[in-house]
Amino acid sequence: MTMLKELAAELVGMFVAEKRLAIAVLAIVAMTGLLVDLAGLNPLFGGAVLLFGCLMLLIESVCRAARGGAS
Amino acid sequence: MTAWSTAAPAISAAFLASLVEVVEAFTIVLAVATLRGWRPAALGTAGGLGVLAGIVLLLGPLLDRVPISSLQLAIGILLLLFGMGWLRKASLRAAGVIPLHDEEAIFAAEAAELSEQARSRARNLGWAAGITALKAVLLEGLEVVFIVIAVGAGRGLLVPAGLGALAACAVVLAAGAIVHRPLSRVPENTLKYGVGVMLSAFGVFWTGEGLGIAWPGADFALLLFAALFLGAGLLASAFARKLAAEFA
Repeated sequence: MTMLKELAAELVGMFVAEKRLAIAVLAIVAMTGLLVDLAGLNPLFGGAVLLFGCLMLLIESVCRAARGGAS
Repeated sequence: MTAWSTAAPAISAAFLASLVEVVEAFTIVLAVATLRGWRPAALGTAGGLGVLAGIVLLLGPLLDRVPISSLQLAIGILLLLFGMGWLRKASLRAAGVIPLHDEEAIFAAEAAELSEQARSRARNLGWAAGITALKAVLLEGLEVVFIVIAVGAGRGLLVPAGLGALAACAVVLAAGAIVHRPLSRVPENTLKYGVGVMLSAFGVFWTGEGLGIAWPGADFALLLFAALFLGAGLLASAFARKLAAEFA
């Protein structure tokens, strides 16, 4: 039972290294989907939102952790 | 036919990521073998590999039934979460905000834990040592399985990606057999940085394709994405170093 719990925790930890970053990435993907599918925007524009959104999220997350001391 | 421009990043991502994970598992298996002998270490390792093989055999046929665009989207999102997590941690380690992964320290901690169990005689020692090895192989192996599936499944590259992972196992086992101690000289953070960059690039690529975005330059867009993630990671490290000094 303990091992199953550890396995589950490992699986979650693999994808949610930091909660805020994970939520923000999912939000960017959802926004891209909405822009491309529902708003009918040029898919390449959606691609740019996805790519540059993720790059900015990475920098913001690292800087936030540095200000906070760690995690 | 498999395009080399897609296969090469998939194989190298699987190889490098597996190298990192196998080194981590090897450290713990070696601690078990050093303190409790090779029998529980080998049995635990075999048990872990058996469970992993079962997972692959179970998941493999299921993947074929998922429509390719849904598969690309799901795997792309998971790769983004996984790759950006690695890249974030590697950037923070490179900036000195969090300590580097230390295989010697992990080996010492694992050895101390097993010695403590020996002193307290609280559990069957051979069994506990075997379980420790099994857990290490299973937990690190899960990441290897995910990476191989993630970089391989989107374009039918499961076999080449799997071979990349197997090559990493062979390299670590060969190096471990020669040096007989934790592989502490592996530049783990540099590898994690590189793998984080590649997995994040694959993540954007597959997620975009899953959402119906036709990237200009097709597979070659991966190289541009990787360059941009590398640049962002380096920039983030530089900012983090400054911020950590300011807020210290």
